[in-house]
Amino acid sequence: MTNDAAPVVTGTHVGKTFANGAVVALENAQFNIPKGTFVSLVGPSGCGKSTLLRLIAGLIEASSGEITLHGTPVRGPRQDVGMMFQKATLLEWRTALENVLLPTELQRKPTRADEDKARDLLGLVGLGDFAFSFPAQLSGGMQQRVALARLLQTGADVLLLDEPFGALDEFTREHLNLELLRIVGELGATTIFVTHNIAEAIFLADQVFVMTPRPGRIARIVDVPLERPRRLALQTTPEFNRLVVEVRETLGEL
Amino acid sequence: MLRRALPHLAIFAAILGLWEAAIATGLIRSIMVPPPSAVMAAMVKLYLVEGTIYRHFFITLWESVSGFAIGAGIAIALATGSALWEPFRRYVTPYAIVLNVTPGIALTPVIIAWFGYGIGSKVALAAVLCFFPIFVNTLTGLTRPDRDREELFRQLGASDAQLFFKLRVPAALPLMFAGLKIGLTTALIGAVVAEFSQATEGVGVLMSRFSFQLNMGASIATLLSMTAIGLLLFYSMEFIDDRMVFWRREARREAASRARARAWKARRGD
Repeated sequence: MTNDAAPVVTGTHVGKTFANGAVVALENAQFNIPKGTFVSLVGPSGCGKSTLLRLIAGLIEASSGEITLHGTPVRGPRQDVGMMFQKATLLEWRTALENVLLPTELQRKPTRADEDKARDLLGLVGLGDFAFSFPAQLSGGMQQRVALARLLQTGADVLLLDEPFGALDEFTREHLNLELLRIVGELGATTIFVTHNIAEAIFLADQVFVMTPRPGRIARIVDVPLERPRRLALQTTPEFNRLVVEVRETLGEL
Repeated sequence: MLRRALPHLAIFAAILGLWEAAIATGLIRSIMVPPPSAVMAAMVKLYLVEGTIYRHFFITLWESVSGFAIGAGIAIALATGSALWEPFRRYVTPYAIVLNVTPGIALTPVIIAWFGYGIGSKVALAAVLCFFPIFVNTLTGLTRPDRDREELFRQLGASDAQLFFKLRVPAALPLMFAGLKIGLTTALIGAVVAEFSQATEGVGVLMSRFSFQLNMGASIATLLSMTAIGLLLFYSMEFIDDRMVFWRREARREAASRARARAWKARRGD
Protein backbone atom coordinates (compact mmCIF):
# COMPACT_ATOMS: atom_id res chain seq x y z
CA MET A 1 0.00 0.00 0.00
CA THR A 2 1.16 3.50 -0.78
CA ASN A 3 -0.53 5.69 1.81
CA ASP A 4 2.04 8.43 1.41
CA ALA A 5 0.99 9.15 -2.20
CA ALA A 6 -1.57 11.85 -3.01
CA PRO A 7 -5.11 10.46 -3.11
CA VAL A 8 -6.43 9.63 -6.60
CA VAL A 9 -10.09 9.43 -5.62
CA THR A 10 -11.62 11.49 -2.82
CA GLY A 11 -15.13 11.93 -1.51
CA THR A 12 -16.32 14.74 0.75
CA HIS A 13 -19.76 14.46 2.39
CA VAL A 14 -21.05 12.61 -0.69
CA GLY A 15 -24.78 11.95 -0.66
CA LYS A 16 -27.26 10.66 -3.20
CA THR A 17 -31.03 10.62 -2.89
CA PHE A 18 -33.60 9.27 -5.33
CA ALA A 19 -37.32 9.97 -5.77
CA ASN A 20 -37.01 13.62 -4.71
CA GLY A 21 -35.22 12.81 -1.50
CA ALA A 22 -37.61 10.03 -0.40
CA VAL A 23 -34.91 7.36 -0.79
CA VAL A 24 -31.47 8.00 0.65
CA ALA A 25 -29.18 5.74 -1.38
CA LEU A 26 -25.97 7.14 0.09
CA GLU A 27 -25.30 9.45 2.98
CA ASN A 28 -22.24 11.45 3.93
CA ALA A 29 -19.54 9.27 2.37
CA GLN A 30 -16.00 10.39 3.24
CA PHE A 31 -12.94 8.74 1.76
CA ASN A 32 -9.47 9.19 0.29
CA ILE A 33 -8.10 6.48 -1.96
CA PRO A 34 -4.33 6.66 -2.60
CA LYS A 35 -2.82 5.67 -5.93
CA GLY A 36 -2.48 1.96 -6.54
CA THR A 37 -4.82 0.99 -3.70
CA PHE A 38 -7.29 -1.86 -4.07
CA VAL A 39 -10.55 -0.96 -2.30
CA SER A 40 -13.46 -3.36 -1.81
CA LEU A 41 -16.95 -2.04 -1.20
CA VAL A 42 -18.89 -4.68 0.71
CA GLY A 43 -22.36 -4.74 2.17
CA PRO A 44 -25.89 -6.09 1.72
CA SER A 45 -28.13 -4.91 -1.12
CA GLY A 46 -29.36 -1.36 -0.71
CA CYS A 47 -26.22 -0.22 1.12
CA GLY A 48 -25.31 2.16 -1.71
CA LYS A 49 -22.19 0.38 -2.99
CA SER A 50 -23.28 0.39 -6.63
CA THR A 51 -24.52 3.96 -6.22
CA LEU A 52 -21.11 5.02 -4.93
CA LEU A 53 -19.41 3.32 -7.87
CA ARG A 54 -21.70 5.02 -10.40
CA LEU A 55 -21.10 8.36 -8.72
CA ILE A 56 -17.33 7.93 -9.09
CA ALA A 57 -17.85 6.86 -12.73
CA GLY A 58 -19.82 10.04 -13.36
CA LEU A 59 -22.82 8.04 -14.56
CA ILE A 60 -25.03 9.69 -11.93
CA GLU A 61 -24.67 13.02 -10.17
CA ALA A 62 -24.23 13.46 -6.41
CA SER A 63 -27.10 15.15 -4.59
CA SER A 64 -24.65 16.64 -2.10
CA GLY A 65 -20.91 16.74 -1.48
CA GLU A 66 -18.19 16.23 -4.05
CA ILE A 67 -16.08 13.48 -5.58
CA THR A 68 -12.71 14.25 -7.13
CA LEU A 69 -10.59 12.16 -9.47
CA HIS A 70 -6.95 13.09 -9.93
CA GLY A 71 -7.77 16.34 -8.17
CA THR A 72 -10.64 17.49 -10.40
CA PRO A 73 -14.34 17.18 -9.51
CA VAL A 74 -16.35 14.49 -11.30
CA ARG A 75 -19.02 16.07 -13.51
CA GLY A 76 -19.80 13.24 -15.93
CA PRO A 77 -18.26 10.16 -17.58
CA ARG A 78 -14.54 10.61 -18.17
CA GLN A 79 -11.70 8.79 -19.79
CA ASP A 80 -9.46 8.36 -16.74
CA VAL A 81 -11.85 5.82 -15.22
CA GLY A 82 -12.88 2.51 -16.67
CA MET A 83 -15.80 0.41 -15.57
CA MET A 84 -16.74 -3.26 -15.67
CA PHE A 85 -20.15 -4.70 -14.90
CA GLN A 86 -21.57 -7.98 -13.62
CA LYS A 87 -22.69 -8.76 -17.17
CA ALA A 88 -19.94 -8.84 -19.77
CA THR A 89 -22.00 -6.41 -21.93
CA LEU A 90 -20.12 -7.46 -25.08
CA LEU A 91 -21.44 -6.74 -28.57
CA GLU A 92 -22.29 -10.14 -30.04
CA TRP A 93 -21.64 -9.02 -33.63
CA ARG A 94 -18.03 -8.14 -32.82
CA THR A 95 -15.13 -10.51 -32.29
CA ALA A 96 -13.32 -10.49 -28.94
CA LEU A 97 -10.65 -8.26 -30.50
CA GLU A 98 -13.21 -5.84 -31.96
CA ASN A 99 -14.94 -5.69 -28.57
CA VAL A 100 -11.65 -4.80 -26.89
CA LEU A 101 -11.07 -2.08 -29.51
CA LEU A 102 -14.48 -0.50 -28.88
CA PRO A 103 -13.31 2.10 -26.30
CA THR A 104 -10.60 3.30 -28.71
CA GLU A 105 -12.99 3.34 -31.64
CA LEU A 106 -15.41 5.60 -29.76
CA GLN A 107 -12.61 8.16 -29.41
CA ARG A 108 -10.76 7.94 -32.74
CA LYS A 109 -9.88 5.65 -35.59
CA PRO A 110 -7.74 2.87 -34.05
CA THR A 111 -4.08 2.96 -35.09
CA ARG A 112 -1.84 -0.03 -35.58
CA ALA A 113 -0.49 0.59 -32.09
CA ASP A 114 -4.03 0.51 -30.63
CA GLU A 115 -4.60 -2.81 -32.37
CA ASP A 116 -1.33 -4.19 -31.04
CA LYS A 117 -2.33 -3.11 -27.54
CA ALA A 118 -5.72 -4.83 -27.85
CA ARG A 119 -4.05 -8.06 -28.95
CA ASP A 120 -1.56 -7.87 -26.11
CA LEU A 121 -4.36 -7.29 -23.60
CA LEU A 122 -6.22 -10.35 -24.88
CA GLY A 123 -3.00 -12.25 -24.30
CA LEU A 124 -2.72 -10.75 -20.81
CA VAL A 125 -6.18 -12.07 -19.86
CA GLY A 126 -5.33 -15.45 -21.37
CA LEU A 127 -7.38 -15.20 -24.55
CA GLY A 128 -4.57 -14.80 -27.07
CA ASP A 129 -5.97 -17.62 -29.20
CA PHE A 130 -9.53 -16.32 -29.15
CA ALA A 131 -9.07 -12.87 -30.70
CA PHE A 132 -11.38 -13.65 -33.61
CA SER A 133 -14.03 -15.57 -31.65
CA PHE A 134 -17.46 -14.06 -31.24
CA PRO A 135 -18.93 -13.76 -27.70
CA ALA A 136 -21.36 -16.63 -28.31
CA GLN A 137 -18.35 -18.89 -28.94
CA LEU A 138 -16.89 -18.06 -25.49
CA SER A 139 -17.82 -19.28 -22.01
CA GLY A 140 -19.13 -16.88 -19.35
CA GLY A 141 -15.70 -16.63 -17.71
CA MET A 142 -14.01 -15.96 -21.04
CA GLN A 143 -16.55 -13.25 -21.84
CA GLN A 144 -15.70 -11.52 -18.57
CA ARG A 145 -12.01 -11.71 -19.48
CA VAL A 146 -12.81 -9.94 -22.75
CA ALA A 147 -14.67 -7.29 -20.73
CA LEU A 148 -11.60 -6.93 -18.50
CA ALA A 149 -9.33 -6.52 -21.54
CA ARG A 150 -11.74 -3.92 -22.92
CA LEU A 151 -11.61 -2.08 -19.59
CA LEU A 152 -7.80 -2.06 -19.72
CA GLN A 153 -7.83 -0.88 -23.36
CA THR A 154 -9.30 2.44 -22.15
CA GLY A 155 -5.94 3.16 -20.54
CA ALA A 156 -7.74 4.36 -17.42
CA ASP A 157 -5.74 4.09 -14.19
CA VAL A 158 -8.82 4.00 -11.97
CA LEU A 159 -10.76 0.78 -12.42
CA LEU A 160 -14.33 0.44 -11.15
CA LEU A 161 -15.61 -3.12 -10.98
CA ASP A 162 -19.23 -3.84 -10.09
CA GLU A 163 -19.38 -7.50 -8.99
CA PRO A 164 -17.51 -8.37 -12.16
CA PHE A 165 -17.37 -12.12 -11.60
CA GLY A 166 -20.56 -12.38 -9.53
CA ALA A 167 -22.43 -14.41 -12.14
CA LEU A 168 -19.69 -17.03 -12.50
CA ASP A 169 -19.17 -20.25 -10.59
CA GLU A 170 -16.96 -20.28 -7.48
CA PHE A 171 -13.89 -21.85 -9.11
CA THR A 172 -13.87 -19.56 -12.12
CA ARG A 173 -14.43 -16.58 -9.85
CA GLU A 174 -11.49 -17.38 -7.55
CA HIS A 175 -9.27 -17.96 -10.54
CA LEU A 176 -10.26 -14.68 -12.19
CA ASN A 177 -9.85 -12.80 -8.89
CA LEU A 178 -6.25 -13.98 -8.67
CA GLU A 179 -5.61 -12.92 -12.25
CA LEU A 180 -7.23 -9.57 -11.58
CA LEU A 181 -4.85 -9.01 -8.64
CA ARG A 182 -1.88 -9.91 -10.80
CA ILE A 183 -2.94 -7.58 -13.61
CA VAL A 184 -3.84 -4.52 -11.52
CA GLY A 185 -0.67 -5.12 -9.52
CA GLU A 186 1.42 -5.03 -12.70
CA LEU A 187 -0.33 -1.90 -13.94
CA GLY A 188 -0.32 -0.14 -10.57
CA ALA A 189 -3.96 0.77 -11.13
CA THR A 190 -6.25 2.11 -8.42
CA THR A 191 -9.14 -0.32 -8.13
CA ILE A 192 -12.58 -0.12 -6.55
CA PHE A 193 -14.31 -3.47 -6.40
CA VAL A 194 -17.96 -3.96 -5.41
CA THR A 195 -18.98 -7.30 -3.90
CA HIS A 196 -21.37 -8.74 -1.35
CA ASN A 197 -18.98 -11.54 -0.47
CA ILE A 198 -17.06 -10.61 2.71
CA ALA A 199 -14.21 -13.12 2.27
CA GLU A 200 -13.70 -12.03 -1.35
CA ALA A 201 -13.70 -8.37 -0.32
CA ILE A 202 -10.95 -8.92 2.28
CA PHE A 203 -8.92 -11.32 0.17
CA LEU A 204 -8.54 -8.81 -2.67
CA ALA A 205 -8.28 -5.49 -0.91
CA ASP A 206 -5.92 -3.12 0.85
CA GLN A 207 -8.96 -1.38 2.33
CA VAL A 208 -12.50 -2.65 2.82
CA PHE A 209 -15.29 -0.06 2.91
CA VAL A 210 -17.97 -1.78 4.99
CA MET A 211 -21.32 -0.36 3.96
CA THR A 212 -24.73 -0.60 5.70
CA PRO A 213 -28.21 0.09 4.28
CA ARG A 214 -31.11 2.46 5.11
CA PRO A 215 -29.62 4.94 4.64
CA GLY A 216 -26.67 3.66 2.64
CA ARG A 217 -23.43 4.74 4.22
CA ILE A 218 -19.81 3.74 4.77
CA ALA A 219 -20.02 2.36 8.31
CA ARG A 220 -16.33 1.65 8.63
CA ILE A 221 -13.10 1.46 6.66
CA VAL A 222 -11.12 -1.68 7.56
CA ASP A 223 -7.42 -1.80 6.66
CA VAL A 224 -6.17 -5.16 5.37
CA PRO A 225 -2.48 -5.44 6.32
CA LEU A 226 -2.00 -8.83 4.64
CA GLU A 227 1.05 -9.50 2.51
CA ARG A 228 1.00 -9.59 -1.30
CA PRO A 229 0.88 -11.49 -3.51
CA ARG A 230 -2.20 -13.03 -1.97
CA ARG A 231 -2.60 -16.81 -2.02
CA LEU A 232 -5.82 -18.76 -1.60
CA ALA A 233 -4.40 -20.44 1.55
CA LEU A 234 -4.46 -17.01 3.19
CA GLN A 235 -8.17 -17.44 3.78
CA THR A 236 -7.58 -20.08 6.48
CA THR A 237 -5.19 -17.97 8.57
CA PRO A 238 -6.18 -16.43 11.95
CA GLU A 239 -5.41 -12.88 10.73
CA PHE A 240 -7.81 -13.35 7.85
CA ASN A 241 -10.51 -14.63 10.20
CA ARG A 242 -9.97 -11.73 12.57
CA LEU A 243 -10.69 -9.35 9.64
CA VAL A 244 -13.81 -11.32 8.67
CA VAL A 245 -15.06 -10.99 12.26
CA GLU A 246 -14.31 -7.27 12.23
CA VAL A 247 -16.33 -6.76 9.04
CA ARG A 248 -19.20 -8.94 10.23
CA GLU A 249 -19.36 -7.05 13.53
CA THR A 250 -19.67 -3.77 11.66
CA LEU A 251 -22.50 -5.26 9.57
CA GLY A 252 -24.22 -6.22 12.84
CA GLU A 253 -24.14 -9.90 12.00
CA LEU A 254 -22.41 -11.09 15.18
CA MET B 1 -30.52 -37.11 -46.88
CA LEU B 2 -32.55 -39.65 -48.88
CA ARG B 3 -33.46 -41.56 -45.71
CA ARG B 4 -34.87 -38.41 -44.15
CA ALA B 5 -36.71 -37.36 -47.33
CA LEU B 6 -38.23 -40.80 -47.86
CA PRO B 7 -41.09 -40.57 -45.30
CA HIS B 8 -42.05 -37.13 -46.65
CA LEU B 9 -42.14 -38.43 -50.22
CA ALA B 10 -44.14 -41.46 -49.16
CA ILE B 11 -46.75 -39.35 -47.34
CA PHE B 12 -46.99 -36.93 -50.26
CA ALA B 13 -47.45 -39.80 -52.73
CA ALA B 14 -50.13 -41.30 -50.50
CA ILE B 15 -52.06 -38.02 -50.37
CA LEU B 16 -51.92 -37.69 -54.16
CA GLY B 17 -52.97 -41.33 -54.58
CA LEU B 18 -55.98 -40.97 -52.26
CA TRP B 19 -56.95 -37.72 -53.93
CA GLU B 20 -56.78 -39.28 -57.40
CA ALA B 21 -58.74 -42.33 -56.17
CA ALA B 22 -61.46 -40.20 -54.53
CA ILE B 23 -62.13 -38.57 -57.89
CA ALA B 24 -61.84 -41.76 -59.95
CA THR B 25 -64.46 -43.46 -57.73
CA GLY B 26 -66.78 -40.44 -58.01
CA LEU B 27 -66.49 -39.54 -54.30
CA ILE B 28 -65.51 -35.99 -55.29
CA ARG B 29 -66.74 -34.31 -58.49
CA SER B 30 -63.85 -33.60 -60.81
CA ILE B 31 -65.48 -30.41 -62.06
CA MET B 32 -64.87 -28.80 -58.62
CA VAL B 33 -61.64 -30.46 -57.58
CA PRO B 34 -59.25 -31.47 -60.33
CA PRO B 35 -57.39 -34.76 -59.94
CA PRO B 36 -53.61 -34.49 -59.50
CA SER B 37 -53.18 -35.91 -62.98
CA ALA B 38 -55.14 -32.99 -64.47
CA VAL B 39 -53.01 -30.52 -62.49
CA MET B 40 -49.89 -32.25 -63.76
CA ALA B 41 -51.15 -32.09 -67.35
CA ALA B 42 -51.98 -28.38 -66.99
CA MET B 43 -48.52 -27.73 -65.52
CA VAL B 44 -46.83 -29.44 -68.44
CA LYS B 45 -48.87 -27.32 -70.84
CA LEU B 46 -48.43 -24.00 -69.01
CA TYR B 47 -44.81 -24.40 -67.94
CA LEU B 48 -43.28 -26.52 -70.69
CA VAL B 49 -45.29 -26.74 -73.89
CA GLU B 50 -46.76 -23.24 -74.19
CA GLY B 51 -44.68 -21.53 -71.51
CA THR B 52 -47.42 -18.91 -71.05
CA ILE B 53 -46.94 -18.76 -67.28
CA TYR B 54 -43.50 -17.16 -67.22
CA ARG B 55 -44.50 -13.73 -68.43
CA HIS B 56 -47.19 -13.55 -65.73
CA PHE B 57 -44.89 -15.07 -63.17
CA PHE B 58 -42.27 -12.36 -63.63
CA ILE B 59 -44.84 -9.57 -63.70
CA THR B 60 -46.25 -10.66 -60.32
CA LEU B 61 -42.75 -11.17 -58.96
CA TRP B 62 -41.76 -7.68 -60.10
CA GLU B 63 -44.91 -6.14 -58.58
CA SER B 64 -44.27 -7.85 -55.24
CA VAL B 65 -40.60 -6.94 -55.06
CA SER B 66 -41.00 -3.31 -56.06
CA GLY B 67 -44.03 -2.92 -53.77
CA PHE B 68 -41.97 -4.45 -50.98
CA ALA B 69 -39.02 -2.15 -51.68
CA ILE B 70 -41.24 0.95 -51.46
CA GLY B 71 -43.19 -0.25 -48.40
CA ALA B 72 -40.03 -1.38 -46.59
CA GLY B 73 -38.22 1.86 -47.42
CA ILE B 74 -41.00 4.00 -45.97
CA ALA B 75 -41.48 1.68 -42.98
CA ILE B 76 -37.78 1.71 -42.05
CA ALA B 77 -37.51 5.49 -42.54
CA LEU B 78 -40.55 6.18 -40.34
CA ALA B 79 -39.47 3.62 -37.72
CA THR B 80 -35.98 5.16 -37.57
CA GLY B 81 -37.49 8.66 -37.25
CA SER B 82 -39.79 7.40 -34.51
CA ALA B 83 -36.95 5.72 -32.66
CA LEU B 84 -34.75 8.82 -32.77
CA TRP B 85 -37.36 11.40 -31.97
CA GLU B 86 -39.99 10.77 -29.30
CA PRO B 87 -42.56 13.42 -30.47
CA PHE B 88 -42.39 12.02 -34.00
CA ARG B 89 -43.22 8.57 -32.66
CA ARG B 90 -46.16 9.98 -30.68
CA TYR B 91 -47.73 11.39 -33.83
CA VAL B 92 -46.84 8.61 -36.28
CA THR B 93 -47.81 5.54 -34.22
CA PRO B 94 -51.61 6.20 -34.17
CA TYR B 95 -51.69 6.35 -37.98
CA ALA B 96 -49.64 3.17 -38.26
CA ILE B 97 -52.05 1.41 -35.89
CA VAL B 98 -55.14 2.68 -37.75
CA LEU B 99 -53.59 1.49 -41.00
CA ASN B 100 -52.96 -1.90 -39.44
CA VAL B 101 -56.44 -2.48 -37.99
CA THR B 102 -58.09 -1.39 -41.25
CA PRO B 103 -58.16 -4.48 -43.48
CA GLY B 104 -55.54 -3.47 -46.03
CA ILE B 105 -57.14 -5.57 -48.72
CA ALA B 106 -60.29 -3.44 -48.44
CA LEU B 107 -58.24 -0.58 -49.88
CA THR B 108 -58.05 -2.45 -53.20
CA PRO B 109 -60.90 -0.58 -55.01
CA VAL B 110 -59.55 2.79 -53.83
CA ILE B 111 -56.03 1.95 -54.90
CA ILE B 112 -57.20 0.75 -58.31
CA ALA B 113 -59.12 4.01 -58.71
CA TRP B 114 -55.99 5.97 -57.83
CA PHE B 115 -53.35 4.00 -59.67
CA GLY B 116 -55.31 2.44 -62.55
CA TYR B 117 -55.50 -1.05 -64.01
CA GLY B 118 -51.79 -1.37 -64.70
CA ILE B 119 -48.86 -2.45 -62.57
CA GLY B 120 -48.98 0.72 -60.44
CA SER B 121 -51.99 -0.33 -58.37
CA LYS B 122 -50.45 -3.80 -57.71
CA VAL B 123 -47.21 -2.25 -56.51
CA ALA B 124 -49.13 0.21 -54.35
CA LEU B 125 -51.24 -2.44 -52.60
CA ALA B 126 -48.17 -4.61 -52.04
CA ALA B 127 -46.43 -1.59 -50.46
CA VAL B 128 -49.40 -0.80 -48.20
CA LEU B 129 -49.76 -4.37 -46.99
CA CYS B 130 -46.09 -4.95 -46.18
CA PHE B 131 -45.61 -1.62 -44.39
CA PHE B 132 -46.89 -2.47 -40.93
CA PRO B 133 -44.95 -5.62 -39.94
CA ILE B 134 -41.70 -3.96 -41.06
CA PHE B 135 -42.48 -0.70 -39.28
CA VAL B 136 -43.42 -2.35 -35.98
CA ASN B 137 -40.49 -4.77 -35.93
CA THR B 138 -37.93 -2.13 -36.83
CA LEU B 139 -39.29 0.29 -34.23
CA THR B 140 -39.41 -2.40 -31.54
CA GLY B 141 -35.86 -3.46 -32.39
CA LEU B 142 -34.49 0.08 -32.28
CA THR B 143 -36.22 1.07 -29.04
CA ARG B 144 -35.73 -2.16 -27.12
CA PRO B 145 -34.12 -1.12 -23.83
CA ASP B 146 -30.55 -2.30 -23.39
CA ARG B 147 -29.63 -0.53 -20.15
CA ASP B 148 -26.37 -2.28 -19.35
CA ARG B 149 -24.81 -1.72 -22.73
CA GLU B 150 -26.16 1.82 -22.99
CA GLU B 151 -24.50 2.55 -19.65
CA LEU B 152 -21.26 1.06 -20.99
CA PHE B 153 -21.39 3.30 -24.07
CA ARG B 154 -22.13 6.34 -21.93
CA GLN B 155 -19.28 5.50 -19.58
CA LEU B 156 -16.96 5.22 -22.57
CA GLY B 157 -18.01 8.70 -23.67
CA ALA B 158 -19.89 7.62 -26.82
CA SER B 159 -21.82 10.25 -28.79
CA ASP B 160 -25.53 9.77 -29.59
CA ALA B 161 -24.65 8.91 -33.18
CA GLN B 162 -22.13 6.28 -32.06
CA LEU B 163 -24.67 4.80 -29.66
CA PHE B 164 -27.18 4.59 -32.50
CA PHE B 165 -24.97 3.15 -35.22
CA LYS B 166 -22.67 0.96 -33.14
CA LEU B 167 -25.21 -0.38 -30.66
CA ARG B 168 -28.85 0.17 -31.49
CA VAL B 169 -28.82 -0.54 -35.23
CA PRO B 170 -26.92 -3.86 -35.07
CA ALA B 171 -28.96 -4.90 -32.02
CA ALA B 172 -32.18 -4.20 -33.97
CA LEU B 173 -31.19 -6.23 -37.05
CA PRO B 174 -32.62 -9.62 -35.95
CA LEU B 175 -36.07 -8.16 -35.29
CA MET B 176 -35.94 -5.97 -38.39
CA PHE B 177 -35.23 -8.98 -40.59
CA ALA B 178 -38.07 -10.91 -38.97
CA GLY B 179 -40.33 -8.03 -40.05
CA LEU B 180 -38.86 -7.97 -43.56
CA LYS B 181 -39.52 -11.68 -44.00
CA ILE B 182 -43.18 -11.28 -43.02
CA GLY B 183 -43.45 -8.12 -45.14
CA LEU B 184 -42.13 -9.77 -48.26
CA THR B 185 -44.78 -12.48 -48.10
CA THR B 186 -47.59 -9.98 -47.44
CA ALA B 187 -46.37 -7.91 -50.40
CA LEU B 188 -47.06 -10.94 -52.60
CA ILE B 189 -50.58 -11.17 -51.16
CA GLY B 190 -51.11 -7.50 -52.01
CA ALA B 191 -49.94 -7.93 -55.60
CA VAL B 192 -52.11 -11.01 -56.21
CA VAL B 193 -55.24 -9.56 -54.59
CA ALA B 194 -54.92 -6.42 -56.72
CA GLU B 195 -54.56 -8.63 -59.79
CA PHE B 196 -57.70 -10.59 -58.87
CA SER B 197 -59.58 -7.35 -58.61
CA GLN B 198 -58.62 -5.63 -61.83
CA ALA B 199 -55.71 -6.35 -64.13
CA THR B 200 -54.63 -7.65 -67.51
CA GLU B 201 -51.41 -9.43 -66.57
CA GLY B 202 -49.97 -11.45 -63.68
CA VAL B 203 -50.58 -14.89 -62.20
CA GLY B 204 -53.64 -13.57 -60.31
CA VAL B 205 -55.35 -12.66 -63.60
CA LEU B 206 -54.39 -15.97 -65.11
CA MET B 207 -55.78 -17.91 -62.17
CA SER B 208 -59.15 -16.09 -62.06
CA ARG B 209 -59.45 -16.51 -65.83
CA PHE B 210 -58.96 -20.30 -65.55
CA SER B 211 -61.39 -20.50 -62.63
CA PHE B 212 -64.11 -18.70 -64.57
CA GLN B 213 -63.61 -21.22 -67.38
CA LEU B 214 -63.90 -23.98 -64.74
CA ASN B 215 -60.49 -25.15 -65.92
CA MET B 216 -59.59 -26.25 -62.41
CA GLY B 217 -56.43 -28.12 -63.34
CA ALA B 218 -54.90 -25.00 -64.90
CA SER B 219 -56.17 -22.90 -62.02
CA ILE B 220 -54.34 -25.00 -59.43
CA ALA B 221 -51.28 -25.18 -61.68
CA THR B 222 -51.23 -21.35 -61.64
CA LEU B 223 -51.71 -21.29 -57.87
CA LEU B 224 -48.57 -23.39 -57.56
CA SER B 225 -46.65 -20.69 -59.43
CA MET B 226 -47.65 -18.28 -56.66
CA THR B 227 -46.29 -20.75 -54.14
CA ALA B 228 -43.09 -20.75 -56.13
CA ILE B 229 -42.91 -16.94 -56.02
CA GLY B 230 -43.57 -17.04 -52.26
CA LEU B 231 -40.81 -19.59 -51.67
CA LEU B 232 -38.39 -17.69 -53.87
CA LEU B 233 -39.02 -14.42 -52.00
CA PHE B 234 -38.93 -15.99 -48.54
CA TYR B 235 -35.72 -17.90 -49.05
CA SER B 236 -33.99 -14.93 -50.72
CA MET B 237 -34.70 -12.88 -47.61
CA GLU B 238 -33.72 -15.79 -45.37
CA PHE B 239 -30.41 -15.96 -47.23
CA ILE B 240 -29.71 -12.24 -46.69
CA ASP B 241 -30.87 -12.45 -43.06
CA ASP B 242 -28.58 -15.37 -42.35
CA ARG B 243 -25.58 -13.41 -43.59
CA MET B 244 -26.42 -10.03 -42.10
CA VAL B 245 -27.34 -11.44 -38.67
CA PHE B 246 -24.47 -13.90 -38.83
CA TRP B 247 -23.95 -14.06 -35.05
CA ARG B 248 -27.14 -16.00 -34.44
CA ARG B 249 -26.16 -19.32 -36.01
CA GLU B 250 -23.11 -21.31 -35.07
CA ALA B 251 -22.04 -22.24 -38.61
CA ARG B 252 -22.29 -18.60 -39.76
CA ARG B 253 -20.43 -17.37 -36.67
CA GLU B 254 -17.58 -19.72 -37.35
CA ALA B 255 -17.41 -18.69 -41.01
CA ALA B 256 -17.46 -15.00 -40.01
CA SER B 257 -14.80 -15.63 -37.38
CA ARG B 258 -12.46 -17.21 -39.95
CA ALA B 259 -13.18 -14.42 -42.45
CA ARG B 260 -12.25 -11.71 -39.91
CA ALA B 261 -9.04 -13.52 -39.00
CA ARG B 262 -8.11 -13.69 -42.70
CA ALA B 263 -8.98 -10.02 -43.26
CA TRP B 264 -6.81 -9.04 -40.28
CA LYS B 265 -3.91 -11.03 -41.59
CA ALA B 266 -4.27 -9.63 -45.10
CA ARG B 267 -4.42 -6.05 -43.82
CA ARG B 268 -1.66 -6.22 -41.23
CA GLY B 269 0.45 -9.17 -42.22
CA ASP B 270 0.57 -10.75 -38.74
